[in-house]
Amino acid sequence: MNENNISPISRRKVAEVANLIKTYDTKGFQTKVLMGIDLTVYEHDFIAIMGPSGSGKTTLLNILSTIDKPTQGTVTLDGQDVTRASNKELSSLRRDKIGFVFQDYNLLDTMTLQDNIALPLSLNGVPEKVCIQRVQEAAARFGLKEHLRKYPYQLSGGQKQRGATCRALVTNPKIIFADEPTGALDSKSGRDLLECLKGVNDSGQATILMVTHDPFCASYAKDVYMLSDGAILCRISRGADRKEFYDRIVDVQTSMGGDSSWE
Amino acid sequence: MGMIKVSFLNFKNSLKNYLSMVLSLAFTILVLYNFQNIRYSGAFEVLGSRNRDYVAIIINVISFILGCFMFFFIWYATNVFLARRKKEIGVYIFMGLSNDKIGKMYFLETTLLGVAALFSGLMLGGLCSGLFQMTLLAISDVAVEIRFRPGIKPMILTAAIYFPVYMVFVVKGYRSIVKSSVLNMLSAAKQNEYVKMNSGILIIKTVIGIHVLGTGYYLAVAKSQTGAMKNAFAAVVLVTAGVYLLFGGLIPFVFQTLAENKRFLYRKQRVLWINSVIFRMKKNYRTYAMVCVLMLCSVTALATGVAMKGRYDNIIQFENTYMFQVLSSRDDLDTKVRGAIEKCNEITSSSRIQILSLPASAINSGKYYSNRYAILPFSRLKQLAEDTGMEFKTDQLEDDKVIQVSHLYLMSMLTDKTGITVEIGGKKYTQVEDTSNPYLGYLQESISFYAVSDREYERLCPMGTEVYTYNYQVKNKEMFAQTRDSLDEMLAGLDKDSNMGRVAIDPESNELDWVKVMYSICIFMFLVFIAASGSIMFMKIYNDGFEEKERYQVMVRMGYDRELLKKSIMAELGAAYGMIFAVMGISSVFSVGALAKMMFTNLVTVNAVSVTIVFFMLVLWYILSVKAYGRNAGVE
Repeated sequence: MNENNISPISRRKVAEVANLIKTYDTKGFQTKVLMGIDLTVYEHDFIAIMGPSGSGKTTLLNILSTIDKPTQGTVTLDGQDVTRASNKELSSLRRDKIGFVFQDYNLLDTMTLQDNIALPLSLNGVPEKVCIQRVQEAAARFGLKEHLRKYPYQLSGGQKQRGATCRALVTNPKIIFADEPTGALDSKSGRDLLECLKGVNDSGQATILMVTHDPFCASYAKDVYMLSDGAILCRISRGADRKEFYDRIVDVQTSMGGDSSWE
Repeated sequence: MGMIKVSFLNFKNSLKNYLSMVLSLAFTILVLYNFQNIRYSGAFEVLGSRNRDYVAIIINVISFILGCFMFFFIWYATNVFLARRKKEIGVYIFMGLSNDKIGKMYFLETTLLGVAALFSGLMLGGLCSGLFQMTLLAISDVAVEIRFRPGIKPMILTAAIYFPVYMVFVVKGYRSIVKSSVLNMLSAAKQNEYVKMNSGILIIKTVIGIHVLGTGYYLAVAKSQTGAMKNAFAAVVLVTAGVYLLFGGLIPFVFQTLAENKRFLYRKQRVLWINSVIFRMKKNYRTYAMVCVLMLCSVTALATGVAMKGRYDNIIQFENTYMFQVLSSRDDLDTKVRGAIEKCNEITSSSRIQILSLPASAINSGKYYSNRYAILPFSRLKQLAEDTGMEFKTDQLEDDKVIQVSHLYLMSMLTDKTGITVEIGGKKYTQVEDTSNPYLGYLQESISFYAVSDREYERLCPMGTEVYTYNYQVKNKEMFAQTRDSLDEMLAGLDKDSNMGRVAIDPESNELDWVKVMYSICIFMFLVFIAASGSIMFMKIYNDGFEEKERYQVMVRMGYDRELLKKSIMAELGAAYGMIFAVMGISSVFSVGALAKMMFTNLVTVNAVSVTIVFFMLVLWYILSVKAYGRNAGVE
């Protein structure tokens, strides 16, 4: 059964922000970046956050992923209020419950792809046999089996990003935060990666929250939240047809002022 | 803004970043300056002209070693600086600056850094000279006073040695920038590096390295009658080359093989630090090898110092077995000599033995000649040993065998004493033993003695002159001069044949004081080498920390526990220090073994103690390195 057909009430909340405000204070000047955002992410959601430059989408992602702290409001991850958590608790939250996919991959160039994917498992003390098995499974799912012995410098951008996604998924996190995951990829590699993300989401293996400025990339999500000037402007949900969903995203994007400021 | 002003601003801003380099250079200057300071302190004047010659040779050798060390250190430090600056100043290209102008900017900045290092080195050197004095005197326990007052001449000389060498490498860097392509400079930060080394090359290096090192070790401890000097030199060259090959071959090969075994690798932070070691190994193996060789020098210097001190004490003890010795053709002098000595002193022990003095032409002892030879009958030597309570190993001596009754050497290049034959009076004898027990005290140093069977002694008697030696040890050493004068007065009354010679050992003699200076210098060299190797390692790790920052920041963002990352850093640096220590420790067994061989003594304890001291110093460097690396990588 398609997850879209399940009522949100029957699904578990993975992340929730309520009345989220973020203000930066630079030399006495206060800049309000997020102005009271409310957002709930349920298990098996695939959400894309879109918005023009300076709309606050990366700030929202950073706060959700516990890298930044809000000025006001609450952030709950898997039932835990992260605004009250200590640094140590935040570290373990990030390690155990969150998977990260960065625009610039952030694979460690000192080790092979296989070791990169195994790293979070190994550091978490997962038995070595299990590590090997899970790395093999994840690599097979992302078409990377024959590249496991390669170092990052021997891989293409797409392979690196799929590797980074594998690394994010291999610990079975509650949620994956992806920051412009296709930003550094060519269209073919970008599409491959999105298919992979969609695949793991559809099969119920991952809840994804992705920040992007690209409507094509966003069209792979189930819901798109449009952010403008630090507030959620609207939410667009996908129907059965991705093409039609893409057109609707572009329409909203155009109505918000074209795409020149969306880079 | 003029180029000089920009360069000065750059220098000011980058001083903090390059502090480790400036301090390391300042440290080498400090060492060089303090060494020159000892040289010109006039401390060696007290040793007398003969000893001064020995010390001058030692100082020249050590100056050469220090010079070589400084040369390589400056080479290394300026290379590190150039690599890092290239990345930063490459940006100036966008401002329309030509390579030549960027090169000049680098030239000015680096010169300023060099001047800063020189001034801080000389200032610290001046301040530390007192500390050096106290440390050395405390460790060396020598009577020779070595003054460490800051002097102007050593400062000028130090600057004259350091600065030209430094400037050579600055000019080299300038030329490198001028000749670099724009692309090369801009991409210096982004170059993809091959992480692993080619396994085939590693295996070849490993095989060659093990052979070279093995041969070096063998030559170091192999005994030789003629080629000990050549062997020692070849051993130094081969061990140095072998260590380089080991760090460039075997060690990366072992780590790469370990990384292939995923069941071994995927255990907590092992995956992180083993991969880091492999990654760093390619860049760092030359540094590790250099540090290892320097540490080996350090341990050997300390062992040499301690062994020298031990040997010095033994030689003094050996020479002082008897304070007065008289050689005479008469066998009835004992009462007269006793009477003369006992006028001013009390005799604590004495002995008398008949020896056969032979002309040098009657003996052919192979390569090593002596001016004076004497033969001892076996039974009398044995009796003498029993009377004086000294050790005597041999029970019987066959007619075709001899025992060389020798003395303690500081060092000898004749390291193989087996199968030596001696021709005495036209007959060949095989040497079965070489004893350095002081049966006849100082006489053993001035005359080459051989003990033969009693029958052979009788056969040889017609060829030489029989002489009686009268040996006395006295109680009051401070009455030496009076006792000697009394003895001389008595001997002067004898006819020429009755008074064939007199030995008087002055307890205040400074004839061997250069050994004590050598001991102090060895300790000094130990401190220099250990501090040098530690600071090179620290500087390397300090810089590596900056390079690792990005990687560690990613891991921190992903939520990896900082404690876990610190543990990984500790393991990584522990592996680096550990392998250096292991190779150094094994090699020291051979280098100190070579020393023991030349000194005919057992230096296992000295070796163990030296290695232990180095171990603790390394632990100290390791703790500092872990802290600096963690802070620079953003994990602290």
